[in-house]
Amino acid sequence: MALVIDTSLCVGCGACVGGCPNGALALENGVAAVDENVCVLCGVCVQNCPVGAIDIPRETNAPDTTAQHRDVWVFAQRSEGLAEVSLELTGLARRLADSKGQSVTALLGGGTEDEAAQLIAAGADRVILGTQPALAQMLEAPYTDWICRLAAEYKPEILLFGATPFGRSLAPCVAARLQTGLTADCSVLDIDGETGLLRQTRPAFGGNLMATIVTPHHRPQMATVRPGVMPLPAADAARQGQIVTDDAAVAPGLVELLQEVRDGGGSALQKAEVIVSVGRGIGQRKNMKLAEELAAKLGGVMGVSRPLVEMGWATQDRQIGQTGTAVAPRLLIACGISGAIQHLAGIAGAKTVVAVNTDPNAPIFGAADYKVVADAAETLRALIDALE
Amino acid sequence: MRTIVCVKQVPASNEVRLDEKTNTIIRDGGEAVINPFDSHALEAALALKEQLGGTVAVLSMGIPAAAEMLRQCLARGADEALLLTDRAFAGADTLATSYALFQGVEQLGDFDLLLCGKMAVDGDTAQIGPELATRLGIPHVSDVFSLECSGDSVTVQRELGGCVQTLRLPLPAVLTVTRELNVPRLPSIAGVLRSETVEIPCRSAAQIGADEAQCGLKGSPTQVVATFLPQRTREVVELTDTAALLPIIKGGAGLGTGD
Amino acid sequence: MDKQLILPYCDLYAACLRDESRTVGHADSVSFPRSEDEVRQILHALHEAGTPVTVQGARTGLAAAAVPRGGHVMTTGGMDRVTGLRQENGRFYLTVQPGVVLLNLRKMIAKREFDTAGWSEASLTALEAFRTAPAHFFPTDPTETTAAIGGMTACNASGARSFRYGPVRPHITALRCVLADGQTVALRRGQHFAQGLHFSLPTAEGGTVEGDLPSYTMPRTKNASGYYVAPDMDLLDLFIGSDGTLGVLTELELALSPLPRISWGATVFLPDEEAACRYAEAVRSQVKCAAAIEYFDPGALDILRQRKAQGDVFATLPDLTVAGDGAAVFTELHCDHRKEAMAALATLGTLAEQCGGCADRSWVARTETENETLRHFRHAVPESVNSLIDQRKQAYPTITKKGSDMSVPDGRLLEVTDMYRRTLAEEGFQYASWGHIGNNHIHVNILPRDMDEHARAKELFRRWAAVVTQMGGAVSAEHGVGKLKAPFLTIMYGEAHIRQMRQLKRLFDPKMQLGRGNLFAVEDEA
Repeated sequence: MALVIDTSLCVGCGACVGGCPNGALALENGVAAVDENVCVLCGVCVQNCPVGAIDIPRETNAPDTTAQHRDVWVFAQRSEGLAEVSLELTGLARRLADSKGQSVTALLGGGTEDEAAQLIAAGADRVILGTQPALAQMLEAPYTDWICRLAAEYKPEILLFGATPFGRSLAPCVAARLQTGLTADCSVLDIDGETGLLRQTRPAFGGNLMATIVTPHHRPQMATVRPGVMPLPAADAARQGQIVTDDAAVAPGLVELLQEVRDGGGSALQKAEVIVSVGRGIGQRKNMKLAEELAAKLGGVMGVSRPLVEMGWATQDRQIGQTGTAVAPRLLIACGISGAIQHLAGIAGAKTVVAVNTDPNAPIFGAADYKVVADAAETLRALIDALE
Repeated sequence: MRTIVCVKQVPASNEVRLDEKTNTIIRDGGEAVINPFDSHALEAALALKEQLGGTVAVLSMGIPAAAEMLRQCLARGADEALLLTDRAFAGADTLATSYALFQGVEQLGDFDLLLCGKMAVDGDTAQIGPELATRLGIPHVSDVFSLECSGDSVTVQRELGGCVQTLRLPLPAVLTVTRELNVPRLPSIAGVLRSETVEIPCRSAAQIGADEAQCGLKGSPTQVVATFLPQRTREVVELTDTAALLPIIKGGAGLGTGD
Repeated sequence: MDKQLILPYCDLYAACLRDESRTVGHADSVSFPRSEDEVRQILHALHEAGTPVTVQGARTGLAAAAVPRGGHVMTTGGMDRVTGLRQENGRFYLTVQPGVVLLNLRKMIAKREFDTAGWSEASLTALEAFRTAPAHFFPTDPTETTAAIGGMTACNASGARSFRYGPVRPHITALRCVLADGQTVALRRGQHFAQGLHFSLPTAEGGTVEGDLPSYTMPRTKNASGYYVAPDMDLLDLFIGSDGTLGVLTELELALSPLPRISWGATVFLPDEEAACRYAEAVRSQVKCAAAIEYFDPGALDILRQRKAQGDVFATLPDLTVAGDGAAVFTELHCDHRKEAMAALATLGTLAEQCGGCADRSWVARTETENETLRHFRHAVPESVNSLIDQRKQAYPTITKKGSDMSVPDGRLLEVTDMYRRTLAEEGFQYASWGHIGNNHIHVNILPRDMDEHARAKELFRRWAAVVTQMGGAVSAEHGVGKLKAPFLTIMYGEAHIRQMRQLKRLFDPKMQLGRGNLFAVEDEA
């Protein structure tokens, strides 16, 4: 397998060179050339090439058994009752299944009939209710065993998990056991009209780029889906569905749960109504005090972007974004944050977003309701003064 | 105590922008660095070595230049390194990567603990640790922020969005770790000087007995079919002075607009 | 002139009354010029009445030079454009207005992107060449990266890397300066020299400033104390480090340096201050590629240790083991070849062992992440001290840390640190020291526990100023004299030489309007 450059098509524009994340491409004698010691076949150049001169030809080795698989499955995670993301996933699965003329099955371990009914009301045709005691705990091993057995038996075409900490840990165990592909943290899922494949769109390169991924020859097609991204389906109490109880033994695994302590579910950031967030554009570490001061005046808290945590200017519990905390305040004032999409993903739930940045083209403005092109620290000072 | 740490070389920056003129994506990844989360995994391994004795091996799959990253791990105190590098590994998704690493782990022999970073900052998938554990058939816990090891079992804590679990695993086991676990040490002068003379072993797919059909692009079930820059979603109103901003933030904060 | 340029003072401009020294002044009017022409108009308008004028850059100074004592405050922060680039004999020279902030300057140079509106054809051609040339940088690195270039020039600022690259002075190759009466002088290095101590300098308006330079001899050490004078000197140097007393800088040309390909750092721990001094002296003489040699004393490490234990952002500092880590010395290595850097690292290890340290107990930073960790550590030292003082302010609102800025010539380091330690112990002060040990320039920071200690600390620094002067040192090595250290300047040069300085100032500023209170105490100006 290799990157193939058709030098008869290449016009030497260099678009592939500037776009290569690994610096593997260069122009030699006016045409693109790849350094195979550096190229990791990520495929960005294939997309970038305006004349279609670059290709990564694929040969497939998979015995194609895709025809035997059908239906859309979701893993319905519980956490003191049904997790909201389980209903979001069920609603999504319903839409995907409808466009393929298939049915929706939800897997509910350690749950109640009432929760099963909620899943049916959200769009499930069938709920498989796992009743083994080992499924009452959030542990990967018993769930992996349970889900893989069911998947081997029923052969679903699509299998979805919530991208919660547990879902992100469980799904790869299942994927490795089933030897199939898994796309993490999808924000858009749809069915390709031509091929019928599940198109899984997710952030790549720290979220600065979106990638659409398919799993053509392996089944089930697996993805984890970010909580809060899919709409919560309206409950339809009139919907009919089947509840199947499954009490077959599951292997409990070797991980022993010693203690589980509820911590109220959510940090100060998650609960905050007002957040003043700061990024690298704040310039000096001491200017962070200004953000804290303004937040205090507005009855809110301060959040930060990832670079400030990496620079040691703030602790991680302050970090907003995909790897930090997703927030949903009434008001978010983003100061000196450029807005990597990974950060934007974390603020998608904010009602009103005011963004302050010196760069008028900063991506944060694409996610803002109000745009202020100005220095973050100066604006903070002005706002504090004005509120006094 | 023998610990294997899986490390990945990633670009220092994930910056991406669009050249408006040519409509092509421009990236400047900067220097290649060790995935920051993997640094914390290495630190945990080194701390365990100090506490319980034993050795630390670092394992990576990557381009030949990733040998320098492994050398940096040796400078920090790792005892042994192995780089899996081969064109056959290129283009691997997580399933194919976990396969190659699984083969690499076999090369390194018996171990007590296998540590990975919670995720790689360029991929953000967090799948390698759990997939590797599944392939190895040993228990695993992801996102560990506290860790105590007795020598035959390990007790860890993780946060599962709303609750903190304390878990005990028999060894051997796989853990993926978060940044909160520790503060990675810097290499010492003596460590750097020692690491400088070490030859980093590099192995191809054939050398580790890997089935090429399961490696790299060929062994990857997933395919990227399109990449694009994220779209802007909101209509934005530009304000030019603080006075115009004030009623908005007062209103947003529920302080009344003052007029 | 346009009346709008000079605005009556009101509370909106409160920021213009203070700087990082945390002293507060007062003013009657303010201005925010955007061009040299506006500076000229403003000065011209204020000249007749002889209104005092205090010039400000970004107000990051520590000696209160930017703090006004009545009269007019002129803030040059709005003059923040890079106006051109010149290439000559393979070197690049950037022309900037005084308000350009260091942080932004670094970014522009690193990314090689400038706002080129209004640039000449020649500048644009030079930029083309600059973009394909190897990477460059501007070496001066004061801790406060929001400093303005104008302010840095006015106080001849330094930083850790001044050990290798010197202060701002050698990197300034030309400047324009508007005098108090509105005349302009334009100087380019190598064009206007004094004859012995006599000088004659033409103005752009056809006038001449002529007279004699003071006759003192400057210390042979890192120095930002008073006017730079020497027989036959390049007159450009007179304006660098003049603390805003001779004129208003309106344009500067900066010589850029090639960025070294390798920039590594190494921190070693040593049993005590004496061992640290011996190590630093050995590094200075044996490690050719050292760009900075920085010190952290046991008191500073203790404060850091306490802060780290308290958590918060200091929790991400690397671990400081308790035993045997008395003091720390950081060395930055700049060179172009890995081999050279490795050899230097080996030397540092050997020297550390010879001085009672341990090559296994050291920190090396070679990657950007590792360098950032060491930067975090270095910056955490003053920050943790400041936060300690902020706690004490709750009991004594006017208490501040008392920081010294004195340097001594090579060979006097052990002697001066011994004197510091002895006298600090006699007074029973809590203190933390850090700074530029490579230049024999350590900032001792006394942390007064009450107002009595606060007053005694000030007195101790006066005594030190006399001792340091006797050793041939400087009372202000990098912060500038400003207003706060003016009394030390008198101790250093004596009344007669201060009188000469005042005479020199009068040649350029007959009504003694500019930077009143800087360098010489204000009461002497009557």
